[in-house]
Order: sequence, then C-alpha cells, then structure tokens
Amino acid sequence: MYPVFMAQWMKDKRKPLTILLFIGLSILATVIFGDNTQYSQTTVAVFSTESNAQEIEEKWVELLNEDSHIEFVITDEEKARSDVSEGRREVAILLMERDYRLITASDMPNIQLVEQEVQKVFTKEARLEAVTSIEDTSELREEVDDYMENPPIKVETQSLTGGEIPQHNMGMQLLFTFTLFVAMFTIGFKVNGINSDKISGIWNRLILSPVSKTSIYAGHLLYSFFVGFFQMVIVFLIFQYVMGYDIGNLQMIIVITAVYTLSTVSMAMLIAGVAKTPEKFNMIYPSIVPIIPVISGAYMPPGTISNSILQFIGNLFPLSHALDAMMSVALYDAQWNDFALPISLMLLIGVVSMGVGINMVERVKG
Amino acid sequence: MLETVNLTKTYKDKKAVDGIDIYLDKGESVGLLGPNGAGKSTTISMISSLLKPTSGDVRLNGESKIKDPSEIRRVLGVVPQEIALYEELSAYENLKFFGKIYKVKKDVLENRMQEVLEMVGLKERQKELVKTFSGGMKRRVNIAAALLHQPEILILDEPTVGIDPQSRNHILETVRKLNEEHGTTILYTSHYMEEVEQLCNRVYIMDHGKIVASGSKNELLSILSSEDTIQVQLSKTSDAIIEKVKGMEHVRRVDETSDGIRIISKKGSNILSDLVHVIENENSQISHFQVEIPSLEDVFLHLTGKTLRD
Repeated sequence: MYPVFMAQWMKDKRKPLTILLFIGLSILATVIFGDNTQYSQTTVAVFSTESNAQEIEEKWVELLNEDSHIEFVITDEEKARSDVSEGRREVAILLMERDYRLITASDMPNIQLVEQEVQKVFTKEARLEAVTSIEDTSELREEVDDYMENPPIKVETQSLTGGEIPQHNMGMQLLFTFTLFVAMFTIGFKVNGINSDKISGIWNRLILSPVSKTSIYAGHLLYSFFVGFFQMVIVFLIFQYVMGYDIGNLQMIIVITAVYTLSTVSMAMLIAGVAKTPEKFNMIYPSIVPIIPVISGAYMPPGTISNSILQFIGNLFPLSHALDAMMSVALYDAQWNDFALPISLMLLIGVVSMGVGINMVERVKG
Repeated sequence: MLETVNLTKTYKDKKAVDGIDIYLDKGESVGLLGPNGAGKSTTISMISSLLKPTSGDVRLNGESKIKDPSEIRRVLGVVPQEIALYEELSAYENLKFFGKIYKVKKDVLENRMQEVLEMVGLKERQKELVKTFSGGMKRRVNIAAALLHQPEILILDEPTVGIDPQSRNHILETVRKLNEEHGTTILYTSHYMEEVEQLCNRVYIMDHGKIVASGSKNELLSILSSEDTIQVQLSKTSDAIIEKVKGMEHVRRVDETSDGIRIISKKGSNILSDLVHVIENENSQISHFQVEIPSLEDVFLHLTGKTLRD
C-alpha cells in the first residue's frame, strides 16, 4: 500500500499547482459569494407607481422595516430601476396596494432572502385584513400589540446552550458549501488514477506483483482521501485563524470533514466504476458534481427546496449531510450526538458506494 | 519448465484462444508469431495469470498454477505491449516504485536498479522524466521495470512496436544477452519475423486463436522444402494471367504482388517455358524472374494465407 500511496504523492509533488489552485478557489468563492457582511447590511430600494404612491410607500416601508435586518428605503422609481439594471443594487421592490414585484437582473442567493422577508410581511398583512375584513388594519394591529404586551401564555425559545437562537448565517453556509464542493473535484480526479492505471497497464503490473489487490486499492483511495481532507482542513484553518471567521468547534468540523471525505471518495469510486476509463470519468464526473450542491440546496437558505423528489435525490449525496452537520456545529454549538445522524448517513453512503464501485471497477476486465 | 495444456479463452461465443499447447524449457528463447487478433496477447495474459482461462491449464514445473498463481507470478517478468509507467516520474523513480512493489530488498534494490538501467542503456538518463523520453527509451524502461526482481522467465509482448532502429537493436541485444548470458527463459511475441528469427530457438505460429505450426526455424522451413517460391516481375498483371498460371501443372498457389506475381510450385518442377508462353499470350512480358529461398515469412504466408502485418 505504501509504495502505491507514495507513487501518487511523487506525481503530485511535481505539479502541486492543481491542489493550490483548488484551495485558492475555495477561499475566493467564499469571499466573493459568501461574505456574511453582505447579508447584514443590505439596503433595498422600494417604490410605488400607483396613484397614491406616497401613501403605499409609507405604509409598507414602516411594516417592512419593523422587524428586519434588511433596510428598506423609499427611492425614486427611475433611480431604483437604473441601480438594478446597472448592477449597483441586486434588487428593488415595486410596491402595490396589496402586492409587490421584485425588480432584479440576477439570481443571487441574497435576492431570495429579501423575497422571504417581503413575502413574510405581505402574508401577515393579508391575514390581518382577512380577519378584520376591512382595509385599515391599524386598529386591530394596535389591539393585538396591546394584548401581546401581557399574553396569557408566553413561549420562550432558547438554543441548546440556553442562549438566543442564532440567525441562519448564509455566508457561513456558503463557506462550507464551496469548500466541500471544490474538494469533490480534487478527490474525484485522484480516484480516477485507478482508471488511468488500468488503462496504462500499470494496474496489471501491480496485480502480477506480490502486493495484494486490497493494498493497491487502499494505496490509491487513502491518497485520494488525504489530499481531499488536507485541502479542506487548510481552507478551514485559513478561515478560522487568518480571515477571522468563527466556524465553531474545530475538532468537530475536522471529524465531519473526514467522514465527508471518506464518503466522497466512495462516491467517486462508484462513478469511476460506471465510467471505466479515465476519459469517460473526466466527462461524467465534472458534469454531475456541479449539480449536487444545487439539488442539495447548498446555495440557498434552508427550506428553499421543498420538492420531496429533489430532497430525496439531494440526500443521496454526502454534501447535504456534511453541510447539515457543519452548520449545526458552527451556528448552534451542536454536541457530538447532535450530528450523529448525518455522520451515519454519510458513512452509509460511503460503504454502499465503495462496495458497488469496486465491484464495477473489477468487472472491467470481464 | 512452463507449459500450457489445451488453453482456451472464450468471450461470449467467440474463441479468442482455442486449445493451445505450448511449452518453454529452461533457458530457451521461444517466439510466438501471429497477425493482429491471432490471440497472442490473450495467451500471454492467461500464462501470466492476469486472465482466467475458460478451460485448460497452465503448469509450472509440472504443477497446475491456475488456482494459486503466486508462484508463477514470482518467477515471471512481463513486459506489456503498452508503456506501463508513470510518465510524470523519472526512470529512476519508476524503477524504485516497481522494485518496492516487487518487494526487492532495500539494500539490494539500488544496485539492481543500476544493473538494469545499464542493461537497457539508460544509466546516464535515469533522473530524467519518462514523459521526456522517445518511444524507444520508454520501451527500454518498460523492459527494465520487468527485470528488477530477476525473473526466471521473461515474457515480452511486442516490445519493439513503433520505435526507432537504434532502440530496437538495443532491445534485441538486451533480450539476447538476458537469454544467453543470464540464462533467462524468453517468450517473445512479435509482428517482426526477422526479430524472431534472430532471437528465438523455437517458434510457435498462431492464427485465429490456434497454433498452426511450431518448431525450430529449420523445422518450420522444411514445411516448404517440397516447394519453390518464384517471384515474377511483369510489365502488366491481369486476373487472366493469374487464373491461367494457377491452372498450370505443378503450380500450387499464385499471389499477386505489387509488380507481378508470386508462384509457389512443386520443388524442381520446370515451369519456366510454360510460364513464358502463358504470359506472352496475355500480352505481358517478364522483366525479372527469381527463385527464392523460403523464409519464415513464406512459411507464415503458406500457413495462414496472409502476411504478419495484415
């Protein structure tokens, strides 16, 4: 096993650029798309084009700003539209009497967060109107507010450690997503070394040697594991200690990373078994991998993907489980047993994929 | 030392190797000749235990090695047709890797590596990356990698395909030295008849998965001892000439060549006067006429109906 492992290392030592590039890519993608300050300082322009525009704007701005970390600002229509079309702002909102429209030129994750906030306020208002059956809900609102000052039952929600429940941090989610996503490529291309060795005839030489087949596989897979694992740990350490992110208990994150790497190596092995040649693998694997975070909902706030079929497919890949476990550690101070389920699921995916994958790779020779 | 008994490999309904029996005595150099698709590589894969035969046996010193091939793997060195090396590593690093894989002892490995590098003439360039080597140099490293564990039997699967004459001569010389000076038993497959004639004591000729002839060079040539091969260069060749020559007495076979015809006739039969008559009647002329001494190529052509490069 050791010589096979070392041979792979010697090859990569000659061209470390790929791995360094992937490490840089993980950090760059997180900085560009996942900087969490974006989400706390967002200002969104609102305007109305109705005849009673001023009245509508004032009513909704007050309600929208009532309980939100996003700041909604009344803006002139022309300016709001030009800001969006020229890329100065991602989104503006056209307000109507009882409805709204998003004005946007892109599909950034931030926009979905804004829409969630706006939709929440409009839905609440629609409910109040439905209860009072009149347009002016201010009396009922005051009544409810007074009542809620001293409610008959008060439910207080606390986090597991007793503190406030932290808000979902989309920047943190994207940090983990990009790191795990980019590592999938590194791991896949290393596992593909097995197919390359088979095609080049090196595999046959190894089979004829006194080294067992188990050792040959172990050498290759262990190397793929270490490279992927090393890449992710480096990225997490840079975020934690250089860039000042708080990614939670590092020990736990490292354990989750290790299990995720194991599971991803197995998944790559399964695809290597299906592809059978390095060329086909290089075609299939990079086509599948970018879809995984999309299906797993890794680019979107939790709950955005509600289709049960998509959720099922997303759960077949280790990414969603790793993300789930890492977010629970980073945001909710989860303990070991709190993320036992995603860890178990990743191990299960790993065992099944590895078993089927090796079986399929072995069938190549017939 | 090594023998196959009724060795057969069937893929679905097609027999790639059909009941072949070959043997190698210790210290022998044996050639396995055959055109593309004859089943040479499949035979080698079965002998070296990479492929399980559908039926038949592979025996080493009289003992079957199909179920437990570990011993046969220990005594065999296999040089595959493809360049089975890590091109991103140097020749030295490749050999070190294969030496470790073959569990050559650490204190012996370095000397052994230098020995085989010397043998294949790459000692001076051992630190260079394999990907920078010419095709011939890569093939030489490919051979060196199979020699590290000092195999008793060396199987070479077309080791000179697509390389320059200098590397080819070097490889042939290396194989000859291994056989004559080190006593290594050789099984050499090739497309090139002259290589086999030069290197091997005995030859097996394979076609369509079967051994169609075997023996020493002289034994194989004796197959044609009852025949003459006549090369006739013509001013014009036609189907009518070929058909009429085929119909002549003592003529056994006629093949069209690039500039005339080749006739295989009964040895000693005087067909010249009749041949001139037939050709002149078809408005052609003989510009050159030669009775050839048969070569193994002729034997191969006689047995399979095609040339080795077909």
